[in-house]
Amino acid sequence: MNLPILPTAIVGSYAMPPWLERLKGEYFARRISGRDLDEIYDTAVKAAIKDQEIAGIDIITDGEVRRDNMVDYFVERFPGVQIDRSSKKFYYDFYDTSIRNKLPMASLGLVQDFTFLRNFTERAVKYCVTGPHCLTKRINNQFYPNDEALAMDIARLMNLELKALAKAGAQFIQIDEPYYSGFPEDLAWGVNVINTLVEGVDAKIAVHICYGNRYGKPSWEGSYRYLFPAILKANVHQLTLEFARRGGEDLDLFKEFDAPFDLGLGVIDVKNEEIESPELVATHIRKALEVTPAERISILTDCGCFHLPRDIAFAKMKAMVEGTKIVRKELGKG
Amino acid sequence: MILKLNHLNAKATAATQAVIEAVYSMVANGHLDKGQFARLQFELDWIQYKQNFREVVTATRGFSAYGAEAPLMDIHVDTRQVDPANLQVELARALATSDRVFIEDFKSLRQSVVWEFNKFYWGHLLAWEHATGKGYDQALPGGSSDGHNPQAIADDVEEFLDLLMDLRDKNQLPPEVNLLEIGVGSGSRCAQWLDQFHAADAKRGTGFYPLIRFYMGDYSNDTLDKARPAVAKHIDQCRFIAMDAMNPIKALPQLRHKILQVHLTNVYDNLPDEEVVRRDGKLYFVQVRAYVPQAEAQRLSHKYGIALPEFKGRVLRMIAEGFDSFGGTDQGVPFWQELWAAIRLEERLVRLEDLTEYPFPEGLDAGKLEDILSGAPADFRFHLSSGALESFIRTLPLLHPRGYLQIFDIFVTDLAQYRTGFFGPGKLDGSLLNWVNGALLKEVAQREGYDVHFRPFQYRKDTKTSILYTTRRE
Repeated sequence: MNLPILPTAIVGSYAMPPWLERLKGEYFARRISGRDLDEIYDTAVKAAIKDQEIAGIDIITDGEVRRDNMVDYFVERFPGVQIDRSSKKFYYDFYDTSIRNKLPMASLGLVQDFTFLRNFTERAVKYCVTGPHCLTKRINNQFYPNDEALAMDIARLMNLELKALAKAGAQFIQIDEPYYSGFPEDLAWGVNVINTLVEGVDAKIAVHICYGNRYGKPSWEGSYRYLFPAILKANVHQLTLEFARRGGEDLDLFKEFDAPFDLGLGVIDVKNEEIESPELVATHIRKALEVTPAERISILTDCGCFHLPRDIAFAKMKAMVEGTKIVRKELGKG
Repeated sequence: MILKLNHLNAKATAATQAVIEAVYSMVANGHLDKGQFARLQFELDWIQYKQNFREVVTATRGFSAYGAEAPLMDIHVDTRQVDPANLQVELARALATSDRVFIEDFKSLRQSVVWEFNKFYWGHLLAWEHATGKGYDQALPGGSSDGHNPQAIADDVEEFLDLLMDLRDKNQLPPEVNLLEIGVGSGSRCAQWLDQFHAADAKRGTGFYPLIRFYMGDYSNDTLDKARPAVAKHIDQCRFIAMDAMNPIKALPQLRHKILQVHLTNVYDNLPDEEVVRRDGKLYFVQVRAYVPQAEAQRLSHKYGIALPEFKGRVLRMIAEGFDSFGGTDQGVPFWQELWAAIRLEERLVRLEDLTEYPFPEGLDAGKLEDILSGAPADFRFHLSSGALESFIRTLPLLHPRGYLQIFDIFVTDLAQYRTGFFGPGKLDGSLLNWVNGALLKEVAQREGYDVHFRPFQYRKDTKTSILYTTRRE
């Protein structure tokens, strides 16, 4: 990946158009075919890619616009997981799911999403998956003795998929694990789960941990202090955290601990429609530079832009890019 | 003709026969043509509020979006007030609509001058109370605000303390524990709550009291100054915020996602509203124009020395400038009170042709409304509760992830309830109130990530108040 210093990216999801929800409703009502829906998704992904490119983002995602939410897209692909299809009222709602037997190993079919993304941009790309801990918390476990055992099997299953993604050319994979902030006590075994998930995967690995982003609102509050020092043992290359909404106090943790991974710095608040100024973005970056060298920082949104209106999400991405340019110039690398 | 009996009691039953006889008589006399008769809908209501904006019989005509009259008419009869012997006369008067002094043109209820009266009332509350010799609270059903119920406050404090203890156990207790009450009025509920919290915190030995930041919101600094003495004991814990109840996040942007409890009592029922009618698969918007019956306008003009042609101008001037044009409150307040009692709203139904272009209140759009109506009665009239909805939507962003919104008010909790009665607007002293479309709030909230629940207000027998509270959707 040939990237500028302080490379920019969104965490994963781009703005979810309200019309896409309606069209999926049309699909469920059998007024449009599955083939039409796939084509609609393809078109939406292309638009998300194009918006990121025009905004000047360095590392492109597929915007995750094929996903109703960050859980169902994966759990639906897990063999042996029971899904109550009646449990979902809105597009964003999670299905009620349960597991009653050992999770079989199988392909999840994510490679074709990555390939589609790879084919429609010349820029560096990042493929994002929801992590085993988050998925475990959404599945009613009726088989495994505890959450750790289920999460470990999900990690084994998804490890195969990550290897397949790497084999297909994915050089950068992000694992989204927001639920640790709600269940910090799980991190004691959660790091082993992360390490099982990424073992032997030949790609740059980032872990994104935020405070939740359901319906554009945080699910928990607190301090990232709970992550340390346990997270230092995670075999990942980047830890991506939200700082724009919460303030930069927890950045000091990167001074206090000698982190073996790079910092993914959230500089855009995705839970507020007010658009940041480039100068505010630059201020956030300067603060991070006090604790970590520029070569080890990536510039990101706090979390996915899923719940933001498209025009707001686009304007926020542009502000992030412009703010990053200010700091690059200050560093003499603009 | 469709005859709808929205309320069943002996008087309504007696009126039903009179209605049928009156309508047949009007058709026979040519006052109603057969085309109108076929589309006529007669609704017999029991109007809860003795003071309201309706004549005993009202006629509401339908119009296309472009102003052409549609062959549609609703006639409403207040069976609480109607004298069956006079029904034909009342009906003829309702259809004529000529003996009225209008004080505005047709518009949305939300834009109507009656809300200016409402604002005027809150701005001149002391003058009204002085004239009537009664405080506002005494006008409420039960003689006091349900928000002040000591047991309700005590229970709430205990629940809130449980929440704080849970947050502390999970190492998630914020450094400042923020609460917000919108519409604090005299401040007496805040004072009661803080007294109770202080005592309960001390009893449990939890030590949370110093962390409390109680944001007291009302529409003006003058009002807040009046609330200040009530919380003098707790002044270090209190913050006073002048705010528009319809836009709390604008007043407190620094508290986004940081408030653990937002409380309102009888605020939503007093926020601007508008209504929609669903008939024969089509939606109609209810437009209103305020008027004073000609005879009343003449009487008031004579009594207060106003030339009848100047009547509308003097009314609007009073609302804008106060009582100077009457030489002060001695003359002005009695005029205001008699005028308010006389004000009525004429209605018309205007077809909503292009729902997607309609300026819905924030939080609602055509798609959402269609979804909400998919399980609703095919033929009914409902509140959009525009002011309440906007307030609600603009309050939710303030809530901490474990925070909740708690509202004591009069809610319609199921859209089907609208088929069974009249839910406002009514008059309460000089103010205006509507039941709040809780069913709509509930649907809208789900898309904002919250479940809305209702529970009866168990602290006062026969109260119509219920408690709305929110929980986070996962």
